[in-house]
Amino acid sequence: MSEQDVVTVRGLRKAYGKRIVVDGLDLDVRAGEILGLAGANGAGKTTTVECIQGLRKPDAGVLRVLGYDPVTHGAQLRPLIGSQLQDSALPDRLRVAEAIDLFTTPKARDGGELLEQFGLAGRRRSAFSSLSGGERQRLFLVLAVLNRPRLVILDELTQGLDPAARRNVWAAVRQLHQAGTTVLLVTHEMDEAEELCDRIIAMRDGRILDSGTPAELIERHARRATVRFTLPEAGTPPGTSLLERLRRTEGVQDVELTGTRVTLAGDRRMIAYVGAALVSWGPVPPDLGVHVPDLEDALLRLLENDQSAATPVIPAQAELIGGRQ
Amino acid sequence: MSTTFGKLVKTELTLMMRDPLVLTFVFAFPIVTMLIIGGAFGTNPTPGFDHTNPAHWYVASYLTVVIAATGLVMLPVHLASYRERGVLRRFTAAGFPRWSFAIAQLIVGLATTAVACALLLLVAWPVYGIPAVHDAWRVAVALPLGAVAFVSIGVLLGSVLPSARSAQAVGLLLFFPSFLLGAGGPPPNVMGSIVKKVADPLPLTLLTNAVREPWLGLGPATGSLIAITALAVVATVIAARRTAL
Repeated sequence: MSEQDVVTVRGLRKAYGKRIVVDGLDLDVRAGEILGLAGANGAGKTTTVECIQGLRKPDAGVLRVLGYDPVTHGAQLRPLIGSQLQDSALPDRLRVAEAIDLFTTPKARDGGELLEQFGLAGRRRSAFSSLSGGERQRLFLVLAVLNRPRLVILDELTQGLDPAARRNVWAAVRQLHQAGTTVLLVTHEMDEAEELCDRIIAMRDGRILDSGTPAELIERHARRATVRFTLPEAGTPPGTSLLERLRRTEGVQDVELTGTRVTLAGDRRMIAYVGAALVSWGPVPPDLGVHVPDLEDALLRLLENDQSAATPVIPAQAELIGGRQ
Repeated sequence: MSTTFGKLVKTELTLMMRDPLVLTFVFAFPIVTMLIIGGAFGTNPTPGFDHTNPAHWYVASYLTVVIAATGLVMLPVHLASYRERGVLRRFTAAGFPRWSFAIAQLIVGLATTAVACALLLLVAWPVYGIPAVHDAWRVAVALPLGAVAFVSIGVLLGSVLPSARSAQAVGLLLFFPSFLLGAGGPPPNVMGSIVKKVADPLPLTLLTNAVREPWLGLGPATGSLIAITALAVVATVIAARRTAL
């Protein structure tokens, strides 16, 4: 554990009955960073953060959060953490201003200013049940940062929000980051993780598959870009010569021709060389499309590779039920 | 009382007063039914009512209906709804001590009961009059003990039942038979023997006896008072354990 670490977890294990949800997890959250916990549903992300907050007792492992053990000092720790929990709510008839008053501690920021900053000033007298999904999430963010927490945990921050509301919430998280707050962000929205996180930990079945910056994860797991376009005169000498030229272009690894449709795959740098080749060859195809791999591609590839590695190879002659292998 | 806990109690009291279920079941229902049934049997003493004024019999009985409505209907639904929707998790994550919510519910339940009882007496006074209290200290002991017992039962039910709907179903299933057999229905003297056997050991019957009999001078009801005391202690201990006080 370094002095820079706000959270240190070693060998965290948690099971519900016979189902192991978190399996020997190690992680560190550094001061001032936004760390993303990413992975499919059931990866163990929420259970991990609940253990970090002291809301669940781990079966095994050592946790240190802001200098406290969440298991033995949960009561001291929780006021130092601001959280937006998955599947949680406020009482339906509680008004926005009353919620601010209820959760305010002596060290709190000005609730009115925060409501103003998060676009909720006009909703002070509104009951929680009358708020839209985006307004509720923004209120949760206000409550999460109200008491100047040293660590903010955001679990499925933008679940169910429309694109505009998501952008607003992202802007609010960026503001937190700029103010130096450490953020642990749980999400399965990869665009959100790529947009907000300094580092990402990809999880599956309670284990860490890989971690790094978004760019590092993309570089390691989704390097191949694709370029697609339609040849105007397929099979004719000019079209044929273009294909030959593209096959020899730097970075191009695969060239596939389906009818008149061309698909090129290769290293991301090939996009520039292919573009140059198309411009020098003649008119640029009007349906030219480029797919640059993103974090979602990287995570999907990572999960696919892990799945194939985890799947046992069963001999063809083996009997699956009640037999020998 | 810490500032945080004080704010929680204040907020919960405010929210209770905005809850239509509370306004209906704890405030309106006992008053309306008391007015109807109190008027149904007239005001002349009859053997069925142990030679007391039937209207006064019901005025003395209906305070316990308020207590039962709070414990069996209001609190279980309120607590189960909070747990089901993740409100309790949010409070815990925000640093509210785990015990604070259960204690707040206990205080809110007792305060709601006190206000609803006062309102019931205020309405009964000009219509039927308030019967003279013959043994004030027994009534004064039985009422708060019964309130503690039923509020603890309510907190316990709210912490065990998985959803607001199930809490409402179970709460109503417990409340209405108790109400009809133990407080707001026909007097025990006119009940058939089997129905009376079922009614006698019900907690609400015991509480009503412990309040009504010393109030109207029908007897000390010591057995019922002891039973209610035991129920209050047991229910509070179990509720406290269940809610990790």
